[in-house]
Amino acid sequence: MNLPLTDPTLLAQDIPETLTARLRSSGQAVCLRFSHKGDLLASGMAKGTIAIFDLETNGVARKLKGHTAGRTVQSLSWEKSGRYLLSSSIDWKVILWDLQDGSRVRVVSLGAPVYIAELHPQNHLKCVAALYEYRPVLADLTDASKPLQHALPNLPLRAPHEQDANPDKADAKHFTTVAAFTPSGSHIITGTTKGWLNIISTTTRKTISSIRLCSKPILLIRLSTSGRDLLVNASDTIIRTLRLPDLSNPALLPDQIHLEVEHKFQDVVNRLSWNHVAFSSNADYVMASTLMNHDIYIWERGHGSLVKILEGPKEELGAVEWHPHRPIVAATGVESGRIYLWGLVMPQRWSALAPDFSEVEANIEYVELEDEFDIQPEEELVKRRLDQEDEIVDVLTVDEGQLEREGGMAGDAGWSMPVLLDMGESDSEEEIVAIGTGQYRRKSQAREDGDEFLDGDDGGEHEVDEVEGGSGRKRRRGD
Amino acid sequence: MSITDTPEPSRRSPKRKRSVSPDARIPQYDGAADGAALQYAYDEEMPSELQSPESQEQDGAPAKKQKVERPTSLNYVPHMTLRGHKRGVAAVKFSPDGRWIASCSADATIKIWDSTTGALAHTLEGHLAGISTIAWSPDSKVLASGSDDKIIRLWDISTGKCLASPLIGHHNYVYSLAFSPKGNMLVSGSYDEAVFLWDVRTARIMRSLPAHSDPVSGVDFVRDGTLVASCSSDGLIRIWDTSTGQCLKTLVHEDNAPVTSVRFSPNGRFVLAATLDSCMRLWNYVEGRVVKTYQGHKNEKYSISTAFGTYGVDKEQVDIEEEERKREWAFAACGSEDGRTVLWDVSSKEILQELQGHDGVVLGVDVGLEDQTIITCGNDKTIKIWKRRPPPATNGVNGTNGSHEPTPPQPAVKGTTGMLDEG
Repeated sequence: MNLPLTDPTLLAQDIPETLTARLRSSGQAVCLRFSHKGDLLASGMAKGTIAIFDLETNGVARKLKGHTAGRTVQSLSWEKSGRYLLSSSIDWKVILWDLQDGSRVRVVSLGAPVYIAELHPQNHLKCVAALYEYRPVLADLTDASKPLQHALPNLPLRAPHEQDANPDKADAKHFTTVAAFTPSGSHIITGTTKGWLNIISTTTRKTISSIRLCSKPILLIRLSTSGRDLLVNASDTIIRTLRLPDLSNPALLPDQIHLEVEHKFQDVVNRLSWNHVAFSSNADYVMASTLMNHDIYIWERGHGSLVKILEGPKEELGAVEWHPHRPIVAATGVESGRIYLWGLVMPQRWSALAPDFSEVEANIEYVELEDEFDIQPEEELVKRRLDQEDEIVDVLTVDEGQLEREGGMAGDAGWSMPVLLDMGESDSEEEIVAIGTGQYRRKSQAREDGDEFLDGDDGGEHEVDEVEGGSGRKRRRGD
Repeated sequence: MSITDTPEPSRRSPKRKRSVSPDARIPQYDGAADGAALQYAYDEEMPSELQSPESQEQDGAPAKKQKVERPTSLNYVPHMTLRGHKRGVAAVKFSPDGRWIASCSADATIKIWDSTTGALAHTLEGHLAGISTIAWSPDSKVLASGSDDKIIRLWDISTGKCLASPLIGHHNYVYSLAFSPKGNMLVSGSYDEAVFLWDVRTARIMRSLPAHSDPVSGVDFVRDGTLVASCSSDGLIRIWDTSTGQCLKTLVHEDNAPVTSVRFSPNGRFVLAATLDSCMRLWNYVEGRVVKTYQGHKNEKYSISTAFGTYGVDKEQVDIEEEERKREWAFAACGSEDGRTVLWDVSSKEILQELQGHDGVVLGVDVGLEDQTIITCGNDKTIKIWKRRPPPATNGVNGTNGSHEPTPPQPAVKGTTGMLDEG
């Protein structure tokens, strides 16, 4: 509902500019994922816990403990409504969480450390996982007592001339490192240690198409929300984007699928490698965090040009995520484990505080209205004003667009996170350290945190006051 | 993300709290064949008397059945009086699920009553001074209270116990509270002239808004939680962006009368503000202008809260179309310092009913689930429950205006539970 009052120039901007907040719960965050609605941010910790942040308060909304303590959480995947979350860890397990009460709906051991696990977009009881030195798995968790695990092929479909001289020996070391569902869930796209991309049909579990991008392992595959764009990070320091055909179209034959690289993003001078990559909300931009470097690079996809480098924290950044519909970027710090958020900051419009004034672009010639300074009897004025209030006002009907933005906050489609009122306590437990026998002290970290959030929020130190700088703007008393 | 103010085709949606029939539609917009644009043209050209829904549908298909007119009166009758508070009752609120009534008083207690039987469920004690304001969390499980002891407390309704960590931070009396629609944030206004946004989970101040230069008398959240409204006795109403904490708009009436309460309309497009010049104004806050002024009550000294409700035609009526039966109009309610509670039609500004019964100032009013019940409270230490009845005259919907019957005298009942006033 704040849109009509928001500065249009702010709404036109689609890239975040400044560091706006730092989140931290006790733990070192290593992976991140925004919920589909964008109101929650899940973060997986190096020690196996998961924290769900509420992005309205920037506070922890829920903590989930279930993975083997000390084993890193590898990936997170949200169900559409935001009620369920799938997490995977190198402790071999994938866990499906119900955030209504924090319970574990399913816990499945896949028999190998998990690289990445992703939920089926339409059915939260199905998931695909890429495993360490094993075949990727399509798991059906519908039956709680007996989850079905189907192994998917590792090897690409190759034309005869692409075969290695000694196929058996080469293929023995050919594994899948990453797997992702297309938005309709009809296909799975996997990346391998030898730089191949495979498209696997979810129903037949057969590879229907393959392409070799490079000879180094593929690190990460991301699909845009439309499912027509693919972003691939490989360890050859090149990020590639590819256009995908409409795989959900059943009329599409496998041999009609031709994948072509659209753009290659790389730093030719410094040969930077990329830690983690992500699309922007509408896939217009590609961003990447860099190895041994403190910056996030943002490229524009139309021309493939670098448009922005996000700076802020003095540490290397790991996972990066773009908010599903707002210009907000989240990233984890590799050393501190903190979560950083970049966004847009606007200076306060002073005219909003002073209702008698309005901000104008240039001098406006003042023209006196005919009756502006006529002296009228007070009662007459009041009566006239009251008589003018004759429009029909509708205080009940809500705009269609507004309802859409709210996404059905009530009702069954919209699930909302319960508010736990003991969150503060559970947080402080871990922040209190024993400094002697029977003596406890609150970790200074905790104190720092609270302050930091407020600091970051003001954005004062980062923000460049350029819009309403006062120069050249004329102020004029309004009517 | 359209930011223009063009009227979009609209759909009746559930209100934030009282969602009864999500699919009920307001035919004012989709009933007429010519759509919203023409409707706006009518607004400018036609005098208000001609703008009844009937005239807007004149070029639609001729109706076979009788067209309905907006009822010109409402008939809420006294149903119950709840007694037990030892001093004046400052605020009374229905829980969002309609099950409970919470009331807070200058005697430093909060009482939770069963809304159907009127039985006292809990008396919440813990505050050290009078309590000015209460707010229900959206899930009806938690009640927040703000007191003159400068502390905001959260209460677990199932146990009647105060939750461990009170919200401490205000330097003076806490005067007004509101929960965000998700229940994760609380906004508070205080005599210390500040508005605080609280993270409910950690009981910490998230943001402090440098709001006003006089005590903050009212705060509210808009239906999607992106805006906060605050008002103060400095005469200003300010609209804030929740996520950035910036002031987006300031509303001021030229008389600068102290504003004592502010609330967003159910659709979030207007704010209703009560001022100490015995007026209640409806503001289009985007354009920053008053669209309606409601008069007829007396409000010169006390902070009196306001409420929105809806009403439709008599459901018993047979000879009307289904679509017409669902038509709803909005009313605004406000207490008065002479013991009345006044209900106005939002668009026509006509007084629909005056509820008479309280002895002295009526401080709080709230409209319950499905708009069938109104609760009021006042300086006479009582809470009154009013039930909607069909208009007494059978042809009431056709324009007779004779429902302002004097309410039956209240039986004097002592005790801490509610007593039925009738039967």
